[in-house]
Amino acid sequence: MSRISHLQSPRAQALILLAPAIGIYTIFAIWPMIEVVILSFQRWNGLDADRVWAGLENYRYIFADDPVYWIAFKNTVIWTVLSVIFPPLVGLLLALGLNEKMFARGAMRAIYYLPVIIAPIAVATMWRWMYDPFFGLFNQIMTGMGLQGWIQDWLGDRDVALYSMFIAYIWQHVGFSMVLFLAGLQGVDRSLVEAARIDGASRWQVFRYVTLPALQVTMTIVIVLSTISSLKAFDIVYGMTGGGPAQSTQMLAMWAFTQSMQIFDFGRGSAISVTLLLITLAVVVPYLRWSQKREDAAR
Amino acid sequence: MSATTTFEEDNITPARRRDPLLVVLWVALVTVAAIWVAPFVFITFTAMKSNSDVMTTSAFSPPTDIAWENFSGAWKKGNFSNTFLNSVIITAVKVPLGLLISAMAAYALARIRLRWGRFLLVFVLFGAMIPFQVMLAPLFTLVNSLGLIDTYIGVILPYLAFGVPYQVFILHGFFRAVPKELSEAALIDGASHFTVFRRIFLPISLPVLAALLILDFVATWNEFAMALVLLQNKNMWTLPLGLMSFQGQFSNSYGQLNAAIVMTVLPAVIVYLIFQRYFVSGLTSGAVKG
Repeated sequence: MSRISHLQSPRAQALILLAPAIGIYTIFAIWPMIEVVILSFQRWNGLDADRVWAGLENYRYIFADDPVYWIAFKNTVIWTVLSVIFPPLVGLLLALGLNEKMFARGAMRAIYYLPVIIAPIAVATMWRWMYDPFFGLFNQIMTGMGLQGWIQDWLGDRDVALYSMFIAYIWQHVGFSMVLFLAGLQGVDRSLVEAARIDGASRWQVFRYVTLPALQVTMTIVIVLSTISSLKAFDIVYGMTGGGPAQSTQMLAMWAFTQSMQIFDFGRGSAISVTLLLITLAVVVPYLRWSQKREDAAR
Repeated sequence: MSATTTFEEDNITPARRRDPLLVVLWVALVTVAAIWVAPFVFITFTAMKSNSDVMTTSAFSPPTDIAWENFSGAWKKGNFSNTFLNSVIITAVKVPLGLLISAMAAYALARIRLRWGRFLLVFVLFGAMIPFQVMLAPLFTLVNSLGLIDTYIGVILPYLAFGVPYQVFILHGFFRAVPKELSEAALIDGASHFTVFRRIFLPISLPVLAALLILDFVATWNEFAMALVLLQNKNMWTLPLGLMSFQGQFSNSYGQLNAAIVMTVLPAVIVYLIFQRYFVSGLTSGAVKG
């Protein structure tokens, strides 16, 4: 090792190791995020050479004049609230059940997780077919059980469509929460549970005072991840309803896409994106702070 | 990684005294599991029925004559040979390459003392949380300005960018936990960090890399939104785009539509069934234990 070159300084080596990942990440993930903010202050159709400065006009338009923005906003809020409650709740119940030793436990865990790995667009296509008003699964079951009165045009009725779509979403996402809770349950001290049982604690008391407190961290993680993934719901909307009927399933991510890539108003589309980005950051930044603190405490 | 759950760790011991509550619980779980697989059964059955059978037979009755021609028909009409090949090429390049650059960066952040190391780490982790769905328009603008719309590279580069954060996060956690002694001796002997990375860290992290590889395979295989804006030319479409267009054009050929769904989903399902335990360890090692 007589030849001393730049390559031997640890700093230079670190730079070489970091460059590809950080470079591509900065250009293709961070830059578009900055660009979306810039675009939101401009008027542009995506093709012309010049992009005209528009100040806050795009924001004024989407908040005051866009007939769809607030519908999409409301639907996104409903969707997020539902996604924060139901998939984690069902996932927790399944995890608690499947944490017990029982026959075919492995097979059941695999079944509940299976929808997670399927392309959301394929889930959308599958469920669209199951909701088919004439030959779809749901209306066939209703007919079979003599419940003709319940037959619906599941995705065609604007009062029901959003919730029909949400059922498909639950089906796909429950497995994800379940797996995280199962992992969290590994951290629950078995001997503590047994000690509590011996001391005469009921099942509910064990759950309430031993299991639940031990799951607090997992719970936070599941809830934050569910929030984030619900805010970016796009594939399922695009594939199942395209936002219809009559915008009743329209959501922010989808509406931003429609404005930019289909109506070719990049300014308005980006302004919508920025509002969604800010909502996401309001969840993400406190969460990152919290997890950093946790990590520091663990060190 | 030691306490991660797997689906396969069951060792069933026959219960000596059956707990009645556990029996009720079991029945409930099996019932719900049956509901959970029902859509797969329905789709598979429909995929194997002719259109007239779909309209006349019940949803859960198995097909009597298997209509294999649904698959060949959908394959041809949906231009599957093309979309399948595109998906294979994009996934085969993106997944290993992404993992390599993420591992390199994670190693540098975890094992080389850098003044701005901590800032860089947070900068990268931040990306795991921001939804690319809000950036579809600027991504299109960027890739378009580089003249890369409708090219493999044009979609692979953004895929790489959005894969980096999560993988760096997981691998950074793993690399940092490696005992110092393992690398220090080599470094003192004059080995470069490249050598230590390649000869020591890559081999010991094979299980984590395998888990990430499989998770990323599924994510890349399934990606839709970015492909939708970056691949406009029909001949460059990936499988999810092909399926979407198939649904739009042939929504009344029920058998073929379902055959198309089955063919799109099958590769991911097979990979999942083979590598189940990696999925779980890959997910949980990051989210819960990190």
